[in-house]
Amino acid sequence: MSADPLIAGHRLTKRFGRLTAVSDLTLEVAGGQIVGFLGPNGAGKTTTIRMLMGFLRPTGGAATVAGAPAGHIGVRGRIGYLPGDLRVDPAMTATQLLSWYGRLRGRHDQRRVDELTGRLGLDPSRPFGALSKGNRQKVGIVQALCHDPDVLILDEPTTGLDPLVQREFLTLIGEAAGRGAAVLFSSHVLPEVERVATRVAIIRAGRLVTTSTVDDLLDRARRRMELRFAEPVPAGVFDGVPGVAAAEVHDRTALLAVDGPVGPAMRAATDAGTLLRVNPAGDDLEDLFVSLYQHSDQPIEVS
Amino acid sequence: MLPVLTQTMHRRRGSLAWWALAVAGMCGLLSVAYPTVRDNHELDSTFANLPPGVEALLGLSGGNALTSPAGYLDSQFFANILPIMLLVFAVGLAAWTVAGDEAAGSLELLLANPVSRVRVALARFAALVCLLAVLAAVCVLALAALAPSTGLNHDLTVSRLAAATVAATLLALAFAAVAFAVGAATGSRPAALAAAAGLAVTGYVLEGLAQQVPALHPIRLVDPWHWLLASDPIRHGLSWQAWAPPLIATVALVAAGLPRLAHRDLR
Repeated sequence: MSADPLIAGHRLTKRFGRLTAVSDLTLEVAGGQIVGFLGPNGAGKTTTIRMLMGFLRPTGGAATVAGAPAGHIGVRGRIGYLPGDLRVDPAMTATQLLSWYGRLRGRHDQRRVDELTGRLGLDPSRPFGALSKGNRQKVGIVQALCHDPDVLILDEPTTGLDPLVQREFLTLIGEAAGRGAAVLFSSHVLPEVERVATRVAIIRAGRLVTTSTVDDLLDRARRRMELRFAEPVPAGVFDGVPGVAAAEVHDRTALLAVDGPVGPAMRAATDAGTLLRVNPAGDDLEDLFVSLYQHSDQPIEVS
Repeated sequence: MLPVLTQTMHRRRGSLAWWALAVAGMCGLLSVAYPTVRDNHELDSTFANLPPGVEALLGLSGGNALTSPAGYLDSQFFANILPIMLLVFAVGLAAWTVAGDEAAGSLELLLANPVSRVRVALARFAALVCLLAVLAAVCVLALAALAPSTGLNHDLTVSRLAAATVAATLLALAFAAVAFAVGAATGSRPAALAAAAGLAVTGYVLEGLAQQVPALHPIRLVDPWHWLLASDPIRHGLSWQAWAPPLIATVALVAAGLPRLAHRDLR
C-alpha cells in the first residue's frame, strides 16, 4: 500500500457502553484509490466513518485524514463528506447551502457547482424540504464534491438515486480519484462497488473481515456450476476433491459448489466421463459476500 | 464565525418578526388598558394588603401603587409577561443552537466544514443575543411611542422603560445560557429545555416564597428572578445588582458548556 495514505484508520475501536460497534479496525486509502466499504446494516460502517470525520472519538486506536488527526480543522476544507442520513435545514435551498459552505471553506466555485448540478440533474433553487429523497441525496453529493476535495468520505452515497444518476455519480468519483483524491465509500450492495472500486473492505459485526481487490475476491469466491456429461456418472465421483464444498450428482448432471480454484474439480470431472458443458450458476461474488457476512469466525486471509 | 452568525439570524428572521409583533402587541394592549386602570382607585386599596410574596412577584414591593404607570407596568408586564415571553423565545433558541440542531442531524454536515464546534456554538449564541436585543428594542420603542397618548409616561422616562426592559432581557439571557450549556454539554435538547424551564419556574416560585421563609434567603442570591425583581429597575434604573449577576452567570454558563462540547461524541 502507498507510503502516505490520505485516509488511515489504525486499530480503530469504538465502544458505546457495553456494545462494541467497531473493533480493532485498520484501513488505508491512498490518493487515487477508490475503496468500497462493504458490510450489512449495523456492521459498523457509519461508526467507522464518523470516527474518520472526528464526530466520534475512538475508544482505541487513531485515525489520520489528509495528513492530520481525524477532525482536525485545518484539513476539513480538503475533505468532502456525505453522511448516511443527510439532514439539512428544510427551508434552505441547495444554492443557499452551497454558498454558505463556500464561505466557510473559503472557496466557492460557481462554475463547478453548476456543472455538478447539471450532470446530476438537480434544481438548486428549491428548498431542501421540498425535494424527493433522490434529489436530497444529489444536494449531498454536490456539497461533498464541489470544492474538489483531496479526500472523499461518503456514507452510502447512492441511496435513493436512480440507476442513471448512480452511474453519473460513479463517473464523478472516478474522475475525483483520477485527479488524485482518496475515496472511501460505504455500501451494502455489491454491484456499484464492483464497478469502480480499486479495493473493497468488508466489515462484519465491527470487525474488518477482509480487504482485497475485486479480482482477488472473485478468485476466492464460491462458484456454483452445473456439469453435463455424455453418460451417467457415479454419485461419489466428487467426494474428497479439494475445493468442492458440495456436490449433487443425478444421472448425467452434477451440481457443484467450489471454493477457490476450480482445477481439481474439473480434473475429477474429466476423469469421470465425457464432459459436454459447464454452466456457471448464481452470482459468485454475492455468494462470497453472504459467506463473509455470516462466518466472521473464519476470516479470509487479508491479501 | 461570521457566516454562522449571519446564517442563524437569516434563518430566524421569520420567527423574530412574529415575536416582535407579539411584544409590540402586548405593549399596545397595556397602553390601551391603562386609562381604565388609572381611574380605578379601588384597585389600589384592594391590592394594598397583599402578602409580601405576591407583592414581590407583582413588582409592587417597592411601594409602587398599582395605578401609577410604574406600578402598572411592573405588575402587568415587566415583572412577569415580558420576562416570560423573552425567556420562552431565548430558551427555545438556545436549546436549538447545539442540541436541537444535533438532534435534527444537520449539525454534523456543517461540522464537516472548516469551522470548530465551539465557534459554531458561540456564533449561534451571539446570534441569539442579537435577536433578543432586537426584541428588547422593539419593546422599548413600542412603549415609548404609545405611552404619551395614554398618560403611561407620567413620571416615567424612556430610560426607565429601557432599564426595566434590559433587566428582563438579561433574565431571559441567563436562563437561555442554562439551556445552551446543558445542550452543548449533553447534546440532548429535552435535557436543555427541562433544565432551563425547571430552573426558571423554581426560581420564580422561590422568589415569592422567600419573602416569608427567611431560610430561603441565601438561595435567592443565585436566583435571576431575585436579581430582576429586587432591583426594581423601573423605579431605580439599571443598578449593577440588576445587570452584573445575570451577565456574569451567562458568561460562566456559556463557558461551562463548551469544553465538553469540544471533546464529546456527536449524537
